[in-house]
Amino acid sequence: MLRIEALSHRYPGAPIDALQDVSLSAARGSVLGLLGPNGAGKTTLISLLAGTLVPQRGRLLIDGVPLAQVRAGAPTRIAVAPQDHAFYGALGVEENLDCFAAAARLKGPRRRARIRDCMDFAQLARFASSRADRLSGGLKRRLNLAIALLAEPELLILDEPTAGVDPQSRAFILEAIARLARAGTAVVYTSHYMEEIEAIADRALILDRGQVLCQGSLSELLAHGRDVLCLAAPGLAQEDLLPFGSVQAPIAGGLWTVQLAPDHTPAAVLAALESRGLGVTQATYGRYSLEHLFMTLTRRPLRDEA
Amino acid sequence: MLLALIRKELLVLSRDVHGLAALFLLPAVFIVVMSLALQDYYDPPLRSLSYAIDNRDGGAPAGQLARDWAAAHGTPQPLPADWNGQLHRGTLKYVVVLDAQLSDELRALGLPTQARVHLLAEPGIDGNLLNALRAELLGLAGELKARHAMLEAGALPPPANASVAALVDAARVAAPGVRPTAVQQNVPAWLVFGMFFIVASLSNLYIQERANGTLARLRSLGVRPHTLLLSKALPYLAVNLLQVLLMLGVGIWLMPWLGGDALSLAGVDWLALFCALGAISAAAVGLSLALAGLVRTPGQAATLGPALNVLMAALGGIMVPTFVMPAFMQRVASLSPMNWGLEALLSVLLRGGGLAQVMPQVIRLLLLAVAAGACSAWLFRRRG
Repeated sequence: MLRIEALSHRYPGAPIDALQDVSLSAARGSVLGLLGPNGAGKTTLISLLAGTLVPQRGRLLIDGVPLAQVRAGAPTRIAVAPQDHAFYGALGVEENLDCFAAAARLKGPRRRARIRDCMDFAQLARFASSRADRLSGGLKRRLNLAIALLAEPELLILDEPTAGVDPQSRAFILEAIARLARAGTAVVYTSHYMEEIEAIADRALILDRGQVLCQGSLSELLAHGRDVLCLAAPGLAQEDLLPFGSVQAPIAGGLWTVQLAPDHTPAAVLAALESRGLGVTQATYGRYSLEHLFMTLTRRPLRDEA
Repeated sequence: MLLALIRKELLVLSRDVHGLAALFLLPAVFIVVMSLALQDYYDPPLRSLSYAIDNRDGGAPAGQLARDWAAAHGTPQPLPADWNGQLHRGTLKYVVVLDAQLSDELRALGLPTQARVHLLAEPGIDGNLLNALRAELLGLAGELKARHAMLEAGALPPPANASVAALVDAARVAAPGVRPTAVQQNVPAWLVFGMFFIVASLSNLYIQERANGTLARLRSLGVRPHTLLLSKALPYLAVNLLQVLLMLGVGIWLMPWLGGDALSLAGVDWLALFCALGAISAAAVGLSLALAGLVRTPGQAATLGPALNVLMAALGGIMVPTFVMPAFMQRVASLSPMNWGLEALLSVLLRGGGLAQVMPQVIRLLLLAVAAGACSAWLFRRRG
């Protein structure tokens, strides 16, 4: 469905590229998780997909056709739900949907049906006449999503769709996005919440400073952690772990990473530490979390610590 | 699609209570307040000012002057002992002091070489008013001197209605039906101010849409830039039309009900009025869109829009008529688009002018509208 080849972009006057040789693909019926900290290039990539920025180098293709050509012919095949609440606060929920449905050139009974369907999908029917700026954060996110769905896009780009919402709304939005993918929509989902990506994405891509650090199916990415023991223990120091393999110091949360040498097992390491009086409080083996993978690749946490 | 976007714009505007108040209530209030405050501007209250006469001359000519003045200006107040202090405080507006030698001077054949009548006014009195009172005193004294000279020369007594004052007539030249009044001056002034106030409203709403990504979203749905700009411009042209109807209504019906003069549209050249209003509206919308394209944050729009409006109004003769400004400021005023609009409307509503008289201002306003519109389209494509 979506293929991006060697895409680069530099803002006027900027010393470095905001995106550098980014290539990726997203298939129908799947969710591509796009991970990256602030400044990674996610927003630039989304702006290029949304058509508000023009690619300087590289290609953006939809089913093999250049994106600009697709946008000129059928712009509603692609929808973007931006991170901001991109709707009119002074209008009601239904009035907002009607305005954007008209902008998407939906007319007559189809327009009314799509407005109704999207309100039902986002469970907003009860709030149809409520002013958008008086909705809760979660409901605003749902409205943002519902507007993106009006024209039944084939490719849906979601920029941090759960930012600032309560856990209940987050669960609802994630479930709704998974339903869309099951129905055949290609979804590009950007977030810096690893657990969300792990929960709904089929594939993930980690972006940092405009470059793709790694990408693949979730199982491929997380398998990078084979023979890796992650553990935390009060008073644990690098010299305690060095005999068992190559050691990476904690980046956040006090979790040490040891790439075990072939003659060591996790059980033996834990037993050795226990015998030295180092009580292990947390340990995982054989599988990275996305967060850990990100930190391993970038040597820094995904989210800025408060 | 365009209709839906226009409907959206009108709905958003109609729910912005502060914006509506600024667009409709503010100029209407200004019309009422300023028209009532300046009600006597075109007919100064020469005959209702409190005054006293200090007659230090016992002669008949000086007594006659005092009687003639009282006949025209009402009975004077008894001269208070502290009349100087009362003048300082403004409780007494002026005092006419008739010197002891005045009667001799009025009887003498020859022109005076020194003042025998002193007009002493309170510090706050308007300069024009003071000059008008002085001119009237001069006229009365001249009349008395002329009558005495005729008597001395043995001429026949003049007819009862004869007077030096009959020699000069003064009138404002206006089209039939048009009366120069404060309302006739203030309705155009504050109407222009109100029409340009859409600069603040439109640019503020526009910049909010750009800041929260709504404009980008509309563009990603395939809405073309010119459709978006039109969807902004057309509702505000309609807003301007409503403002015109409201302000004219205030002038025609509300002002006389409040005790002021009524706005007169008798003999107005409707085509010239329509052209002037259309050009003002086009310029205001163009300027609004250009400002919206220039500023980057809602805060900037909220500050710059009203500031630009007030500056254009202050310079353009809305708040202070340009004819009371010094020559340099009058040249500066002629740079303000509000001044172009005001002059065009005054030409039609106050001076009874037609299309030819408003055309210079209309052309300037339309050129501004085209330039600002082109600028906004370029900025829109560049910044979204």
